[in-house]
Amino acid sequence: MATILIPPADTLPVAWGWFQFLLLLTFPLHLLAMNAMLGGLILGVVAHLRGDEVERRLAHRIAVITPMLIALTVNLGVAPYLFLQVLYGQFIYTSSILMGIGWILVVPLLMFAYRGVYLYDFHFEKLGRLGLVIGGICAVIFLGIAAIFSHNMLLMGLPERFGEYFSHLDGSMLIASENSFPFRYLHMVLGALAMGGLAVALMGRFRAERDLELAEYSAKHGLRVFLGVTVINTVVGILYLLSLPRGQMLLFMGRDMGATIAFALGLLLTVGMLFTAWRGRLWMTIAHAVPLVVIMVFMRSWLRTGYLQKYYTLDQLQVVPQYSPMIFFFVILIFGLLCLGWLWKKSAEALAQT
Amino acid sequence: MHYPVWYLPEIGGGTLIALIAVFHVFISHFAVGGGLYLVLAEKKGLAEQSQAILDFTKRHARFFLLTTMVLGSISGVGIWFIIALVNPAATSYLIHNFVFGWAAEWVFFTVEIAAAFVYYYFFGRMESSTHLKVGYLYFFAAWMSLLLINGIIGVMLTPGAWAESSLFWQGFFNPSFWPSLFFRTCIAVLMAGCYGCLTAAWSDEEEVRVKMTRFSGIWSLVAMVAAIPCALWYVAVLPEQAQQLVTGKSPTVALALQYGLVAVILLLVLTLVTAILRPTLNNRPVALAAMLCAFVMLGSFEWTREAARRPYVINEVIYSNSIFKKDLESLNEKGFLKSALWVQHHEVTADNRMGAGHELYIQQCYSCHTLGAGNNDLAALTEKMSYPALVAYIGKMHTIRPFMPPFAGTDTEVRALSAFLAGEVHGKETVDVVAEAGDGLAAGKQLFEENCAACHAREDLSGAFAGKDVVGAGEMLSTLNEISDEMEPFGGTDEERNQLAGYLISESGGIVSTAGVDGGGVFDTHCSACHAVEDITEFTSGWDRAQIFTNLGRLPELVPEMPPFEGTETEREALADYIDGLKGGK
Repeated sequence: MATILIPPADTLPVAWGWFQFLLLLTFPLHLLAMNAMLGGLILGVVAHLRGDEVERRLAHRIAVITPMLIALTVNLGVAPYLFLQVLYGQFIYTSSILMGIGWILVVPLLMFAYRGVYLYDFHFEKLGRLGLVIGGICAVIFLGIAAIFSHNMLLMGLPERFGEYFSHLDGSMLIASENSFPFRYLHMVLGALAMGGLAVALMGRFRAERDLELAEYSAKHGLRVFLGVTVINTVVGILYLLSLPRGQMLLFMGRDMGATIAFALGLLLTVGMLFTAWRGRLWMTIAHAVPLVVIMVFMRSWLRTGYLQKYYTLDQLQVVPQYSPMIFFFVILIFGLLCLGWLWKKSAEALAQT
Repeated sequence: MHYPVWYLPEIGGGTLIALIAVFHVFISHFAVGGGLYLVLAEKKGLAEQSQAILDFTKRHARFFLLTTMVLGSISGVGIWFIIALVNPAATSYLIHNFVFGWAAEWVFFTVEIAAAFVYYYFFGRMESSTHLKVGYLYFFAAWMSLLLINGIIGVMLTPGAWAESSLFWQGFFNPSFWPSLFFRTCIAVLMAGCYGCLTAAWSDEEEVRVKMTRFSGIWSLVAMVAAIPCALWYVAVLPEQAQQLVTGKSPTVALALQYGLVAVILLLVLTLVTAILRPTLNNRPVALAAMLCAFVMLGSFEWTREAARRPYVINEVIYSNSIFKKDLESLNEKGFLKSALWVQHHEVTADNRMGAGHELYIQQCYSCHTLGAGNNDLAALTEKMSYPALVAYIGKMHTIRPFMPPFAGTDTEVRALSAFLAGEVHGKETVDVVAEAGDGLAAGKQLFEENCAACHAREDLSGAFAGKDVVGAGEMLSTLNEISDEMEPFGGTDEERNQLAGYLISESGGIVSTAGVDGGGVFDTHCSACHAVEDITEFTSGWDRAQIFTNLGRLPELVPEMPPFEGTETEREALADYIDGLKGGK
């Protein structure tokens, strides 16, 4: 049997459960922001393409909020990536190196697309159809970045393929041929598109006092997209499940009680949100979709555990206790939340005045 | 050794880190100082009731938002990505030790982003006092980000007691924490001034351009003056070896500092002349030139700071090539390849010597040296070295060049790496040769390769040893440290010193005994067909013995009709002695 190449883990300052908690807390926030950004931008570009007056206004509104959503996505991605490194550093660093070229490309691509989206926002009227091209290119780039992330997150769970490094010293390793990769990617991207539909509907709701026509159109169009894409994505999700290695698939079918319950809850929520979306109930749909994203994150975590359990479990991590830095972090976190609350309050007051 | 190496020999990971890191710090310091600048510029506009200044501030805020969000935050993520790709072991170590420091920094980063958006999008749409508070909040959050990162990256240079204890707070408040924080705050203010001049140069209104240029210039000047004591303090707290490196012991650092100094002087002149004394002179090319100076200055500082850690990436803990200091002894004993995870050859055999050597290069040298590319190209650096020279050098390179990590591994592994470099890279012989007893010149040659060839080509030393005898050359070898503090006196036995001295002067026109070889006979064989003895005496009358010897080696250059001297080196020595003797050594 070939040697499995897994670097040794570093020690932790507190028990691994704290990091798992923080990872599972922050990652859904990142996903929600990313979904709203990516799905919203795609819907905005499509609306811009169709060219109807209200759709053009919708595209403009989406162009205005997309840069903020990118900032939010990046920011909310930092925390889970940090905690992921603490728990699974030996895997994520290795997989990142094996696909180093693609991984580092994320940086210039993101910069380019981010700048492009600002251009699309600041010069929406002046650019006209050219803006559409810019927005379209940015959307394609974000889809590319999503593919790179999906690829890395899958590769980090496949240590048995790490040995292929020796044929790809330059970081050009690809595992796109891995059965589950296309379904995993498609499931994530369609999920983003569906949630983008919800974000568009929500954005319209917030604009109701200023532009009722836009608000009604956004809500209707957003929910319709959500409904249609979610139906397709449910099928893709099942295909994704079936494409998983048998051991991992069975985790959600009784082999692991927690994973199975999460899966069942996810299915129930899916049915519920399809129903509420069909009935045009935006807030109820959101109330189903957000917990579903959280459950998906938990399922994803179970899946990763399943991929790695032959080689590594979190309880193998050694702790050299130092609790004061964690207390410091929680104090800073509370302070930060208070600051954000204050900013929100002052912004709302200013908006109300204008 | 525990992680795979992302191997791009034509580029080098270090180059990628440098590119992204310098770019990021150039933006991120602006992101800190620029926040305060915006608030104070807005206050100035409000105090002077100048709509023009307020418009300028809003324009600058937009530029600020675009620059810091798009370029700053993404390049910050970029640094994270690239350090983990190039130096995963050190990154993992830092992340695990300081995870809650990074997490707290993330909180401030979040507040920073939110405040930046509110500040820009509510400019003029919010009560002024509240808007200013938002600006202050932004600046506070940005500066706190700087403070936290400063504590964590400072430990890489000056770990202090943390290197042993791994205690968070001991590492965070490391010896360079305060001077570095003050110095970086000055840099942040300086960046704000430079970027302010840049935006002012783009202003169409003459009055605003002049006013805000001078305002920005004062920021730059104050920051530069305040940075001087901070920089001195910073250098003073560095460990002795780091101090030596940043004060010129490392040639690359010395070069970087020269560039930095020129950039600082130019920036100071531009600030004084085109920003403060004659702000009307500030235009786009001038402002861009000032930005370029600031970029070079910051690049020089960051390069120097990084280089000052050498041979470590985390001082006293992990070497630049990801090998933990604590593992060195065991690696030397057991062998590096046996202990390394990401290699295919776990021991050196006659068949895999080159492959094993290549892997040793990738694992131990590549982090700082490319192969055939620009950054510390190892192919160029070892070009003049033979296999024995490499074997001798690699084993003790950390003593000759204290900024290099020691080789980790066995003697066999040293030879495999040397064989790869000499054989595979340069196509030279890779046979272990032992000089025959009694052959002093061959022994001297071997000693030269083992002790000198790493830094010196044989021909480069001809001038230094010209005219010397064995005793004189030997004395030089014993006092090499007086010639340059980068060298140490020759450390071999007296006999070895004489052998090396003999070899060095044998090709330098030194006074070598040529007993056994008849110079007159050599003259008859090689010269007499065309030259009479008298002619030669006259022709060489202005030359000393060393010049005669040297010129015998380049006869066609002196007179194109003459063929090169075809005798052996010993015959050349004897001939030089003979000719010199003809004129009585005068």
